[in-house]
Parts: sequence; C-alpha cells; structure tokens
Amino acid sequence: MTDVTLSSARPVAAKRPGGASIGPRWTNALFVAPYMVFYVLLLVYPLFKGIWMSLLQSDMFDDTSKFSGLANYYRLFNDKVFIGTVWNTVLFVVMTVPVFVVIGLLLALALNRSDRTAAALRAIFFGTSVLSVTIVTIIWKMMYMPGNGAIASVMRYFGLDPIAFTTTASLALPAIAITTIWWIIGLPMMLFLAALQQIPGELYEAAALDNASRARSFWSITLPSIRRTMLVVVIYEIVAQFQLFGQAQLLTQGGPNNASRPIVQFIYEQGFRSWNLGYAAAASEILFVIMAVAALAQFFASRKRVEE
Amino acid sequence: MQVSSIELDSVSKRFGSVEVISELSLTIHSGEFIAFLGPSGCGKSTLLRMIAGLETVDGGEIRIGGERVDNLPPGARGVAMVFQHYALYPHMTVADNLAFGLRNIGTPKDEIARRIEEAARILEIGHLLARKPGQLSGGQRQRVAIGRALVKDPKAYLFDEPLSNLDAALRVRTRVELARLHQQTRATTIFVTHDQVEAMTLASRIVVMNARKVEQVGSPMEIYGRPATEFVARFVGSPAMNFLPVQIRDRGGLATAALGDGSIVETDVPLAGLPSGGELRVGVRAEAIHVREDGSVPGRVEVIERLGDRTHLHVRLMDGSTLIAEDKGFSRIQPGDTVHLAFEGATAHLFDAAGLAYHARQ
Amino acid sequence: MAASEHIVGRGIGNKLILFTVILVAVFWMLPIAWTLLLSFKPNSELMISTASAFQPPYTLKNYTDIFQSSGVFRWLWNSAVVSVGVTAGILILSSLAGYGFARAEFKGRDVIFILVLLGLAVPEQAVIIARHQIFSDLKMHNTYPAIILPGLSSAFGVFLMTQYFKAIPKDIDEAAMLDNASRFKIFWKVLLPLTIPAQATLGIFSFLGAWNDYLWPLISATKPEMFTITVGMASTQTNFAQSEGLGFLMAQAIFAGLPVFIVYLFFQKYIVRAVAGAAIN
Repeated sequence: MTDVTLSSARPVAAKRPGGASIGPRWTNALFVAPYMVFYVLLLVYPLFKGIWMSLLQSDMFDDTSKFSGLANYYRLFNDKVFIGTVWNTVLFVVMTVPVFVVIGLLLALALNRSDRTAAALRAIFFGTSVLSVTIVTIIWKMMYMPGNGAIASVMRYFGLDPIAFTTTASLALPAIAITTIWWIIGLPMMLFLAALQQIPGELYEAAALDNASRARSFWSITLPSIRRTMLVVVIYEIVAQFQLFGQAQLLTQGGPNNASRPIVQFIYEQGFRSWNLGYAAAASEILFVIMAVAALAQFFASRKRVEE
Repeated sequence: MQVSSIELDSVSKRFGSVEVISELSLTIHSGEFIAFLGPSGCGKSTLLRMIAGLETVDGGEIRIGGERVDNLPPGARGVAMVFQHYALYPHMTVADNLAFGLRNIGTPKDEIARRIEEAARILEIGHLLARKPGQLSGGQRQRVAIGRALVKDPKAYLFDEPLSNLDAALRVRTRVELARLHQQTRATTIFVTHDQVEAMTLASRIVVMNARKVEQVGSPMEIYGRPATEFVARFVGSPAMNFLPVQIRDRGGLATAALGDGSIVETDVPLAGLPSGGELRVGVRAEAIHVREDGSVPGRVEVIERLGDRTHLHVRLMDGSTLIAEDKGFSRIQPGDTVHLAFEGATAHLFDAAGLAYHARQ
Repeated sequence: MAASEHIVGRGIGNKLILFTVILVAVFWMLPIAWTLLLSFKPNSELMISTASAFQPPYTLKNYTDIFQSSGVFRWLWNSAVVSVGVTAGILILSSLAGYGFARAEFKGRDVIFILVLLGLAVPEQAVIIARHQIFSDLKMHNTYPAIILPGLSSAFGVFLMTQYFKAIPKDIDEAAMLDNASRFKIFWKVLLPLTIPAQATLGIFSFLGAWNDYLWPLISATKPEMFTITVGMASTQTNFAQSEGLGFLMAQAIFAGLPVFIVYLFFQKYIVRAVAGAAIN
C-alpha cells in the first residue's frame, strides 16, 4: 500500500443519494401485499365462507339457500354412511401411521451410509413418491385385479384361490393402505435420514469405546436424538393420511358397500356429485376439527414425554 | 477528499425498556482516527451503527460535517462502513462490489472505473477484481471491504471490529496497513474494537466504554497512564493492573499507602483531593513492581509466565493477597521462591470505593 | 449407519442389513416392472390372461397409439401450463413476501405473519367447497386460472422463503443500505440472487405438487379438454377390469409418469435437500 492519493476530480453524486432506511415504513408492506391478496381471497375468505355454507340448507330446485343453524351437523351425526367414513378414515390412519414410522425409520437406519448402493436404494424408495395418485392406482390395480392381477397370478401359481382384494369388505382398506405405504414411504425415510445425519459421529465412536453393542447404541443414542423428528413424522402422517381420497376413490370407489369410503370422498361426492353443498361443507368442517384435534393431541402427548 | 467532523449531541438509544446509550455527547474532529473501545455489550457497536444510520436514534442529534443526519437514511449520510464479517455481496465480482454503491447514486461509468482502478492500486487487489468473494482469502476479503469504502470517498470511515476475523499474524499486518492508510488519507475514522492493542496502536483518541456509558475519552497514553476509573485501569494494559487495599498516611501532602502486610508504597498522589472516609486501593501495573534484594514487600512466587523479553510473576503476599510483578527476560526465579518486591510509587494510582481514580500531579 | 460404518467388527452385520434392504427394494420395484412389462404386450392377449407376460410377442403399439389417439398430449400440455403457472406464481409471491416478513419492517407485520403461519394448518378440504362456489360465481371453472390460482394461497412457500431470508446475514442488507440501494433494489439485486437454492427447492416442490394435484383439478376441470394429466389418467381407469386396452392403459401410465420421473432424476439433489431441511427445522 503506497502512494495513496484518492483524488476526487469530479463531483461524486449526480443525484441526491437516498437509499432504504431502517425502521418501519408502510411502503414495506408492499412486499407482502401480493401474497396477502391470494391468502385472504382464496384461503381466509373460503374458510369462513365454508363455515357459513355449512349452516345453510340449499334448495336445488330454485337455487336458493336458507339459514338452518346446525341442522347439517345434526344430520351428519345421524348419517350412518358419514359415521362409517369417519371410522374408515381413522382405521386407515391407525393402519398406516405406525408403519410409516417403523418402516421409514428402519429404511433410514439401513440406508444412512455414504456409498453409491445406498444412494441408489434411497432413490428407489423415494422415487415412487413423485408419481401421481392416478398412476399409482393404475399400477396397483394391475397388482390387485382378481383375474389378471399379479398377486392373483402368483397365488394361482402356488395353487391358491386368488383373493379379490379391492372388492372384499375386510381387505379393501388394507389394500389401499399397502398401496399408500408403497407410494409415499420415501418421505418419512428421508426425514429420518436427515435427522440421523445430524447425530454427531463421535457419539457412536464413544459408545463403541464404551463397549456398547449396535442395539445399545440404537436405544441410547439414536432414538433419543431423533425424538423431535419422530414427532414431526407422526403429526405429518396423521394429518396427511386423514386426507385419504384418490387411492380409495380410484382403487375401490369406496366399496364394497362403503367399506373403504373415506371422509374426503364423502365430501367430494356430497358436494360435487349430489350437490348438497351445505352438507358437504359441514362434513369438511368436521374433518378439519378431527385433524386439528388429532395433531394437537399427539403434539401435547409427545411434548410431555419429551420433557420427562 | 471530503473530510468531516462528527458530532454526537446527548444521543440516547433504547432497546425496549433498556436504555443502552444515554445522553452521550462526543465530538470527533475532522481527520481524526478515534477508537471506541470496550467489552462486548458495552454499546460501542450500537453507537457506531447509530452514526451509520443502521439503528434509530431515540434522543439527541448526530451531525456529520455540521449537517444533521440522524433522520437521514444510511445511504444519504455519506459515510462508509467496513463490517466485522465484511458483508461483501457474495454473488457479485469484486469489481461489482466496489461499483454497486457508486452506480446507485448515478456516478458516470468512466468515473466508477477510475475509482475502482485507484482503490485497487492502493489496496493491491487489482488481480482480484474479476473474482467473487467466495474465492478470496480472509485477508483479501478484508481489503475488498476496505476498498468498497474507499471508492465512495466518504465523509468518514466506520470500522466495526474489522480485524476480529483475521488470524493473529494477519491482524498485526492489517493493523499497520490501516495506520498507514489513515496517515495518507487523513480521513475521519471511527474504529470499534474490544482489543485494547488495536485501539492503542491505531487511534489518536480512544473512547473507553463500559456498561453503556463512556468511562474515559483520551489519547492512548492518557488512557494508559492516567486511567479515569478502575474499569479503564483494568481493561487497558496487559496484564491487568494490580489492586491492593491500603491505609493512607500523610507524607508532606502526598499519600503514602500502607499495604495489608504493613509494607508501604510512597505514591505521588496529593492527599488534598482524596476522600476522607471509605476504603482506598492502590493500583500499580506489573511493570512498576520489580524484584529487588532490598525490596520491602516479601511474597512467594506461585506461577511464572515467561514471555521472552520479560517474565510475569504471580506472587502471593504475606497477607494472602496476590499480584503480578515483572522481572527481566532471563529471570532465574522458580515457582515456590520467595521474592522481595519494590513498588515504583511515582506511577501508582489510588482508587476509591466507587472505582474513581486519583493520580499524581502532572 | 454413516456414523458407525467404519467401526471395526460391524462389517458382517452391515452387509446382512444391506442385503435385506436390496431384497426389499427389488420387491418395491416389482409393481412398476410389472406395469412396464404389460405395457409392451398386445391388448388382445392381455384380455385373455396376463400369464403370457413373460413370453413374446412384445409390441410398441400401445405407445404409438398414445401419439395417435388419446387426450394424453392435451392433458400433458394442460398439466405443463398449470404446473408452470403455479410454480412461477408461488416463487414470485413467496419471494416478495418472504423478504417482507424477514426484512422489511411495517406496523403489524409480526401479527400478520402469525396469521399466515396459522394458514399452514388449514387443509385444502376445509376450503374446497367454498372455493368451488367462488369460482362458480365467477364462471371461471374449466379455465387455467381457476386451476392455478388456489395453489397460490398456500402459506408453505412464504414460510420457507421467510426462513431462508432470515438466515442471510443482515449486514449484507446494511452494506447495501450504506451503498444507497433502495428497498426493492436490496431485494432484487442483493438478496434474491442469494436465495437461488431455496428457489430451486420451492420451485421443484411446487411443480411436483401442482403436477400431481388431484382433488382441486378434478372438481374445477370437468371438461376432458381441460383435464390435467393426473385427472385425465383417473378418467381412463373407470371400468378397469373390463377394459379392452389394458396394455394401452399401462403404456399411458408409464408415459404420464415419465415427466415427473425425469424431473426427479435431474433434481434429486434439491428434493433430498429440501426434505432434509424440513426435518431439521
């Protein structure tokens, strides 16, 4: 650094400088305004409009509707089909969520390695998640079909009578559950993988020096370290599986005899097949409440356990 | 070169209900290199950011070159800042980093090119102009950050702990370069640091801050030689000044301090200004406490720190108190030895219970 | 376990586990392999039985039929328009709002942000009846805007971008302020280029989400020429068991799955990173 003469031969500023200031300015709200327009018009407004609609009785003939208080809700609680869909949905959640947690964690544990084989296997298990529900159901119809399906063929090969999965009342929902697990097991696996990679390697090395077995390391180091992710996965899967729709609608059409009809399909059919909009809106509010309660309950239960 | 003075006029700042700076007044002269020195959380960075316009001012006025600026946006104040973590724009080349501010005020292209070239020559970063910050070393980033300030030809340079992210060797080198740069530009400079060596070596005046207030403003030697408070005395100088409780006796108008073990230190502090009641302590730097056969204060050496040119002895006195004394580089003293210490009374200070200092007449 | 894969004495156990997982993975791929295989078989043969799947003859006719007949191309085009529209819209709105919530102060901002976060808890099903009504009143069903716009109200992108902007060191903005940059310039020239990784993640997620979205397009698009590929593929699988074109249907499924699969292969890195990020936050 020599010969410092920073001469200013010409005036610096051609215009009066004036950049951004700190502190609150109402013009700063312009950044969030565009999103807020969509948020208010297409989320907040429909949310309240939906609640309002659930209190209306619509008349299909003259296209009017009148306020009917909680009549739609009263009707729903006495509607055997609706109650059935609630049970189906709860049953489906109970069937799938533990599997997502256990298999997702097992896969993550097995594939938490840095070699190419593990990367390829991760890609396989996660890859199915990017397919749309309609492609997934086409693929699995070919598995389940009683006559020509892959599973039926295998059973016949072993001299067994093929089972009609999607048209047997007790098997329809499990069939949907298997398809769903095949479809999106990759997400919980990835979530667990990310959590496992956060655990410092020194912990396992210290445990190995302390003569801890693989199982011991898992119970004492791995599990406690991923409790938070476990909670995230459980809540996420509960909320997601409550929204079951496409797989059921396309694989079993909710049948046989409503045995696999979930709440969302009920809402869809009441709203857009029978055009009972108020009735469908009321059902959607109940779904909203169930999901919120399930997630909250799980959240508080787990938080208590974590704190202990 | 547009060099300006900076005046702070009873400036206040609150974060919520906590007042972090209260009624602070200070004039920074045109062309002066001033350091804000203090431990972290003392408010020195907040003060700098208020001058830059990055924090709002809750009371008082800030004037740069006589013009009131505390309501102007940062860009309109005409100052340049070098950030602790450099804050270079990661996606822009070095040249674009330097040009960004000039483009924003509509500086003509050829003028921008001329200034970048000049700054690059001064800082020897010409070969880096096409690179991005991610491809630079810490020291190179530091130069680019300084260059970004330099091209703006600002009314004042504001440095926020700019050396704290460099390794020790580079820090010393950059310190010298900054000193040289200031000697040549003569630009008004405020330098925030918690490192007393940086403040002492670079600044013509130091503002020592602690717990959100100014403890002392003075030249480096004033701060070191006549610390206004116990805080300043402890914070500036390494090792920290020794403090020992004393009883005061009259010695022809000057104070003689009697230590706990009965030995005495003859200070040059006038007796007149001292508080009558209350506890007093004598403050003596290690370099003013020597090991001598005829030393009047005996003690046992517990720890020895050899620094090459000198040796620091941690000594426990007979009454149980400890202090640090200095011996020459090739000291033969071993831990456990008993030594006799002699105090240079002329450089000793007295401190009252509130931490206020009393010095010898100048 | 990455952490313990090098620990001495665990080699055999690790190999056993890997072998098991490979076996599971083979089973995992069987349904797709089966579908792929059948898509190359003549329809007439499949009508009788799928038992002949492992023997010739094989044919490409099912695929060439897609190019000649079927609405698949129209549906793919619709899906492309919808997915690009949703993705572009989400990226623009979320970037602006993310910067606003993270950096640009205004009165009431924090309250509004909390309200937006609450929006994350509202499932699509709770608003879908009312949304349908809104677009009916506007006579907009069976148009691209009707299929695209509801997707832009999702709070997920705003949340993601806000987090990302917050993670950028604030001194970069401050340096730009001292460099006389305006608010918009700080957003556009200084910070936005730094969010490209987040843009990629959000973009891919939005694209896949829109491409695979089923419920809303099913409700809004009732005319076959406005179907997205996802809805279109649903319309082809009614009367599945009696279908005379099983092979053709399989070929359609494979063909319709290709675009997302290609996106997946190309952007796997970003997808994995996004999922990982979601887990850690």
